[in-house]
Amino acid sequence: MSAETQDTYLKPLPRPSAESQPFWDAARDHRLVLQKCRACGKFWFPPSQRCVHCLSGDHDWTEVTGTGRVFSFVTYQRLYHKGWEGEIPYVVAVIELDEGPRLLSNIVGIPADQVTCDLKVRVTFDDVSPGVSLPKFTPA
Amino acid sequence: MNIEPNTAYRDKYAIVGVGNSPLGKVPHMSAIGLVEQACVNALDDAGLRARDIDSLLVRGPDDIYTFHQLIGERLGINANFSTTATNGGASQILSVILAVMAIEAGLCTTVLCGYGRDSWSRTHRSEEARMRSATRSEEMESSEFGPEYGLFGAPAMHGFGARRHMHLYGTTRDQFGAIAVAFREHALRNPEAMMKKPLTLEDYREARMIVEPFGLLDCSLRSDGAGAMIVTTRERAKDLRRRPVLIKGFGTHNNLTGWFADDNMVNTAAGPSSARAYAMAGLGPDDIDCAQIYDCFTYMVMTQIEDYGFCRKGEGGPFVASGALKLDGRLPTNTSGGQLSEAHCEGVLQIVEGVRQLQGIYGNDRQVKDAKTCIVSGHGGNTVCHSTLILGTAT
Repeated sequence: MSAETQDTYLKPLPRPSAESQPFWDAARDHRLVLQKCRACGKFWFPPSQRCVHCLSGDHDWTEVTGTGRVFSFVTYQRLYHKGWEGEIPYVVAVIELDEGPRLLSNIVGIPADQVTCDLKVRVTFDDVSPGVSLPKFTPA
Repeated sequence: MNIEPNTAYRDKYAIVGVGNSPLGKVPHMSAIGLVEQACVNALDDAGLRARDIDSLLVRGPDDIYTFHQLIGERLGINANFSTTATNGGASQILSVILAVMAIEAGLCTTVLCGYGRDSWSRTHRSEEARMRSATRSEEMESSEFGPEYGLFGAPAMHGFGARRHMHLYGTTRDQFGAIAVAFREHALRNPEAMMKKPLTLEDYREARMIVEPFGLLDCSLRSDGAGAMIVTTRERAKDLRRRPVLIKGFGTHNNLTGWFADDNMVNTAAGPSSARAYAMAGLGPDDIDCAQIYDCFTYMVMTQIEDYGFCRKGEGGPFVASGALKLDGRLPTNTSGGQLSEAHCEGVLQIVEGVRQLQGIYGNDRQVKDAKTCIVSGHGGNTVCHSTLILGTAT
């Protein structure tokens, strides 16, 4: 492929913090991991230093099932960023994982107009650049 | 935590003057200039001079440092108490609340509150401004868990709530449309409103979609403009020009755990905030004659009206579709046209309009008949911060 026809990824890439780096490192290996508190056993998201339920500073990055449901979603019909040119409409959703935490992602593998709240979904990884894979969700 | 509001504050303080700047497209004025003009108009309305003011609680665009100081410099005021609140759209009522608290604490006597922005000009003033608004700065954006998935702009965050409400209660886009249509009718009675054309439900349906479930007419305007209010004691208000508008109650609540947590996007911070305001005022929803509700998006009006107890949770759709929000309806709401059709100045114009309705300054075409009470809401700060103000006439 010549330089001119080579695909260029124009969307923003995540800029991990020290706190979120393990999440993105695992995603690169196609594993969805969240912080799980050693004191109270609960999960939380987004990443932070202490358990948001009990403030314990003791946790493990734990792989989760990757299954959940669409809590809510919106469908972009307007282009906000050139990286999505030709991809309108696309769906941005709040996913509630079976373990409890909610996270933001895309719903893929289903037409936008067929996405509903409570749709059962599972994680799938989109390898967007050599070092970065984004967890996205598809009907379970 | 169940806390009892201090009912001793009820009817003890008053808003004695309000003002606004030119609204809409005002490219020849800066945000600071707009606020300065609104403040001068509020002083005129009250019949006060700048030297009568001893506190400034004034806010502008978030990227202008110590906005209150810049306004004090222009008005020639050294203030006993002065700051800028940063709760987004909840800040403007919060400033009125802080004013009462500061007077009560003996820090000051007469407080000038206000807010303004030059949001239209920032994106339209020049070709350079247009370019700047098209290229997003990395610093202003989340670094992760958003932009990489194409999450941009305010419509999406509020749209999650709208979609969830539709899912839980069968709410429809036409019901959101009834809100846009009602406020447009009010705007047509307001010569200062940006939107001048009548709007039908058919027009609403045909407008282009932005971020579903929101179309263009679910979204508030981009505006230049400012508003200001003067707060003092009821006692001091006696010898001023206007019939004082009394502060009957106020409340605040902030769902800092986030819009995605629990059911915050459907049962918003407006619930606990209004409960405190009603308790302080000794009033309930049935005692309210008109409302000025923070309308960044149509859905936010619906959920706040439910959270404020004007109908049960989930019944906001039929409530607004019945015409309740119109000038002759059960709850005349956003009687200036609101942020959807007058101008979007982060809620400050809702306070100004609420006060004017109770000053009784309008003609029959715009005046809420026999209005004695008005509830005003402010909402924002990542859509989790809320403040409520209940105003009333002196009887």
